[in-house]
Amino acid sequence: MRKVAIVGIGHTVFGNLSKFDLVDIMSYASTNALDDAGIRKERKIIDQVFAANVGACLLNGQTGVASSMASRIDLEPAMAESIENGPASGASALKCGVMAIASGMADVVMVTGGEVMRSVTGWEGTDFVARMLHPEAEYDYGLTLPAFGGMFTRLYMERYGLTEEELAMVAVKDHENGSKNPYAHVPYTCTLEGIHCSPNADIINNVIAEPLRLYGMCPVSDGGASLILCAMDSPKMKYFKNKPPIRVSGIGSATDTHCVHHRKDPLELKAVALSAERAYKMAGLGPQDISFAELHDAFVILELAISEEVGFFKRGKARESVVKGETRIDGKLPINTSGGLKAKGHPIGATGVSQVFELVKQLRGEAEEGRQVKNPKHGLAVNFGGFGNNVVATICSKE
Amino acid sequence: MVDIYAVDFNKYRPPKAVVYGRKCPECGTVDYPAPMLCKHCGARRDPSGVEHSSWEKVPLGGKCKLLTWTKLYALPEGFTDRYLLFGIVEFESGLRASARLLVEEPKFGMSLVAEAGLVREKVGKDAYGFLCRKPEKS
Repeated sequence: MRKVAIVGIGHTVFGNLSKFDLVDIMSYASTNALDDAGIRKERKIIDQVFAANVGACLLNGQTGVASSMASRIDLEPAMAESIENGPASGASALKCGVMAIASGMADVVMVTGGEVMRSVTGWEGTDFVARMLHPEAEYDYGLTLPAFGGMFTRLYMERYGLTEEELAMVAVKDHENGSKNPYAHVPYTCTLEGIHCSPNADIINNVIAEPLRLYGMCPVSDGGASLILCAMDSPKMKYFKNKPPIRVSGIGSATDTHCVHHRKDPLELKAVALSAERAYKMAGLGPQDISFAELHDAFVILELAISEEVGFFKRGKARESVVKGETRIDGKLPINTSGGLKAKGHPIGATGVSQVFELVKQLRGEAEEGRQVKNPKHGLAVNFGGFGNNVVATICSKE
Repeated sequence: MVDIYAVDFNKYRPPKAVVYGRKCPECGTVDYPAPMLCKHCGARRDPSGVEHSSWEKVPLGGKCKLLTWTKLYALPEGFTDRYLLFGIVEFESGLRASARLLVEEPKFGMSLVAEAGLVREKVGKDAYGFLCRKPEKS
C-alpha cells in the first residue's frame, strides 16, 4: 500500500461562528492548510477533496458542500465529494483520502471538516443530533446522545466504582489543556473545587443527563479543520518542503449495533476496540507504542471508556490513571492534549479532522507552550460516531 | 336532517397504543425494532409483504427489569417537560428496549411493567413506545 503523509494542516477557532457561512468556515480552514503546506499558488495539484459535514442541509439549508467548497477555494477541476458519518464524519473523510491515495486514484488530497450548529436554537440542535439514533426505538422517545451518555455513565459507576469527583477530574484536566489551545471553544481552566466540591457546584455544574453534568459534556460548537495528504512516493512531494511530513501509519473503522439496547453488554464499545485493532495492525504498532491520544470525549466518561477499549488501561482502571495524573500533558500517556471535545469543542463534521490536526501539531513539536508532549513518536485519535455505532481510529507517526 | 346520535365518533379516537416486535417466520426469533434480516437465521423480511413475508407482528410489553437509567433535563425539540426519565430494560424473554420510565426513584435491577403509550406527538402520526411503571401490588 502507498504510504500517505499529512503535509498541511489548517484550523479555525471553535465556538459560536453562526454569523459566518458554513462553506466560508470550511474554506478558511482549507486555506490555512494550503498556507501551512506552502502550496497556495500551486493549489491545483490537489486531485481530490473530501468534505466532512453532517448538518448543512438541516441546519444551514445547504447541500453539495464539497463542490461549493472546492469552487470557493479555486480547486476546480479537482474531484470532490461530501462525507457524512455522524460525529465520525471527519475521520471517515480522512479514511477516504487515505484510500484514494492508496488506490492510486489520487496523489494529493484535501480533507476538510466543518459544521455550523449554533445557527439554530439549543432545542433544535439537540433534536438534530438525536436524529442519528434509531427513529422508532430511540429518537421518538425523546432520547438524545447525552441521555445515552448518562445511562452509560450510571452503569459504569455501578460496575467499576467510578465517582463524580473522578469524572470532574477528567474535565479539569481537559480544560487545563484547552486553556492553552488558541482554537478552543472554552479556553478556560476550571477547578475541582468550582465544579465539584463547592456549595455552588450544583449551580455552576448543573445536571444535564444524570449523573452527567454540564462539565461532563462537550459544548455545541461551530468550526472547521483541514488536512492535506500526499502519497509519499509521488513526485508531488517536492512541493511540500515547508514542514516535516507526518505519516498516517494506521487507520481503521468498525460499526456496532445502531440500537444501544441490542448490545449484550451496554458498556462494551466493540467498534472502538475493533477500529483501534485495525489501525494498530496496519501501523504494526500496539497500545504500548502510543505516545499520546485524542479520544472522542463528547461525554467525559467516553475518554475513560475509550482509553480502556483501545488497550491503554484494563477495563474499569482508567479512572486510576486520571487520579494519578498519568493522562496529563506531563504524564506518561497524555490524553486530549487539545482540550478534547470537552474544552476545544465539537463541531461534529470537523471533530475527526481536528483530532488529527492535533496529532500532527504534537508530532511536529508545534503545540503551544505548556501543552507540547515531550518527544512524541506515535499519536492515536478515536472519532466516535452515534453512540459508538461507527468509529474510526487513526494513528499518525513521525517519519 | 342528520341524526347526530347516529355518527360514530369512536372512529376519531386515537388507535390503541401498541408496540410491536416482529417474529421471524423461519426460526421464531422476536426482534425490536424490526430488522431486515433475522440476526439468528438470516431470514429476510419484506416491509411491503409483496415478495417475501412481512413477518408476524407481536405486541410487546409486560414484566421487565431495569438495566440502567438517566434523568434527562436537556430535551430535544418537541418536548416541554422539565425532565424525563429514560432507561434500558430487559423483558423476561431476554429482549431489551429503551423505554420511558414513570418512576421517580429508579434502581438497578428494579422490576417494572412496560405498557405501550404515547411517547411523541407528531402531526398526523403519533409515536408509541414503552412506558415503564412499578408493578401493582397483588
